[in-house]
Amino acid sequence: MIEVSHLVKSYRDLKAVQDVTFKVEKGEIVGFLGPNGAGKTTTMRMITGVLPPTSGSVKVSGYDVFERPMEVKRRIGYLPETPPVYTDMTVRAYLRFVAEIKGVRRSQREGEVEKVATQTNCRQFIHRVIGNLSKGQRQRVGLAQALLNDPEVLILDEPTVGLDPAQIIEVRQLIKSLAGKHTIVLSTHILPEVVATCQRVLIISQGKVVADDTLEGLQRTHAGALTADGQAGPAPSLEEIFLKLTSA
Amino acid sequence: MKNAIAIAKKELNIYFATPIAYVMFTLFVVIGSYFFLRLLGAYEQASLAYMRFQAPEMMSRLNFQDAIFRNLFGNLGVILIFIVPFLTMRLVAEEKRQKTIELLYTTPVTPGQIVWGKYLACLAILVIALALTLTYPLLVQFNAGDSNGVEWRSVLLGYGGLFLMGAAYMAIGLFISSLTESQVVAALITFVVLLMTWIIGWTAGEAEGWVRDFVTYLASVSHLDSFSKGTLDVKDVVYFLSIIVLGLFATNRAVEAHRWS
Repeated sequence: MIEVSHLVKSYRDLKAVQDVTFKVEKGEIVGFLGPNGAGKTTTMRMITGVLPPTSGSVKVSGYDVFERPMEVKRRIGYLPETPPVYTDMTVRAYLRFVAEIKGVRRSQREGEVEKVATQTNCRQFIHRVIGNLSKGQRQRVGLAQALLNDPEVLILDEPTVGLDPAQIIEVRQLIKSLAGKHTIVLSTHILPEVVATCQRVLIISQGKVVADDTLEGLQRTHAGALTADGQAGPAPSLEEIFLKLTSA
Repeated sequence: MKNAIAIAKKELNIYFATPIAYVMFTLFVVIGSYFFLRLLGAYEQASLAYMRFQAPEMMSRLNFQDAIFRNLFGNLGVILIFIVPFLTMRLVAEEKRQKTIELLYTTPVTPGQIVWGKYLACLAILVIALALTLTYPLLVQFNAGDSNGVEWRSVLLGYGGLFLMGAAYMAIGLFISSLTESQVVAALITFVVLLMTWIIGWTAGEAEGWVRDFVTYLASVSHLDSFSKGTLDVKDVVYFLSIIVLGLFATNRAVEAHRWS
């Protein structure tokens, strides 16, 4: 579904992303992990076509992001780091506008807006002006916007940032419920989130992919030494694996 | 085109959800009415004076178009220089600062549609502002009594000129807004550029020969005046249209280039 090959992004002397290659199959949920400044957001922006790569290519559903951008944009839902909301509009007007530019037919627009607002729990403040909403509420509006028009691929840059614990659980459940039909790449700092929602983990550090495996696979690879009585050591937690891989 | 209209609707939604549109209409009408009343007063004085001195040939030369509307359109054109920068400043700059431009980049919308949509929205505001000032010729018409009344053909040509000039100013403002993330910077630079197109005309009087013709051609207000006199000259239409086309083309390139920076 998503094929990233030899992706490089450099800004003058800074190499933000160096030769990143990975594949995401249809219906998978992949957690994108990495310390601050590792290149997570840059990679996601290149996948969605916001940022042109210095070299390498990205294909979504078989379409190259830079050769057939319109085909890719029709299939992608993107929640950037900062929710892209117009602070002077109401939630409803905003969602209607996004539905319109995403090409949702007029007759279905209202239903589609209602659907994503319900999914992300935005209904109780749908008539309010976005500028007056809290950070968590804006985040949910941003998520609702990404879900509009039922995109095949969802790219979510820190979807749960700014949410309260109850909302975090709700959003995780929502993301899980989207698995199978949608292909999802989500980035996060919160390691338990990956354990809770993702089938696969991709760890990126200093612009390079340092791990790409299922959680069990990672635990097997990084299992501790055998204990004295010959038993396998306790499986390392994702925290331990993350710290080990990113501190190098 | 559908996407451009969606974006235009969004921009209008924001213009009317914030005070920008209302403040702009109010200022335009308040200042416009002040000039209109001054000109009407001067017209009254002149006609009274001619009547008192029994000067029928002067009286026959006095008409609404030359005495009132030509000057009024000139004044409204100058007000546009002060108002357009505040209408266009946020169009692209604010999208960049708030990062909402990423939404537009990741939805199936082309840069051309983004630019068109935004431009259509500010043109709509311009049309409304100009329509509000139609009250002046209507007032004159209703109170003209048995005289010939308003020359509507010339008045409408004047409005056509004002619209073209406002549209050209907005194309300049839209382009400058696409170069920065700061609304204040966009407004200031737009204001200076528009002001230059006005005051450059002042130097025409000192120049001679082709320099004079050239400077006169550059000045936006001289092209407007040709419309408000009631004449339609291809030269003036070409002047405004070329600014509009150039401005929109440059904005399109700037919106496209923003991603590569």
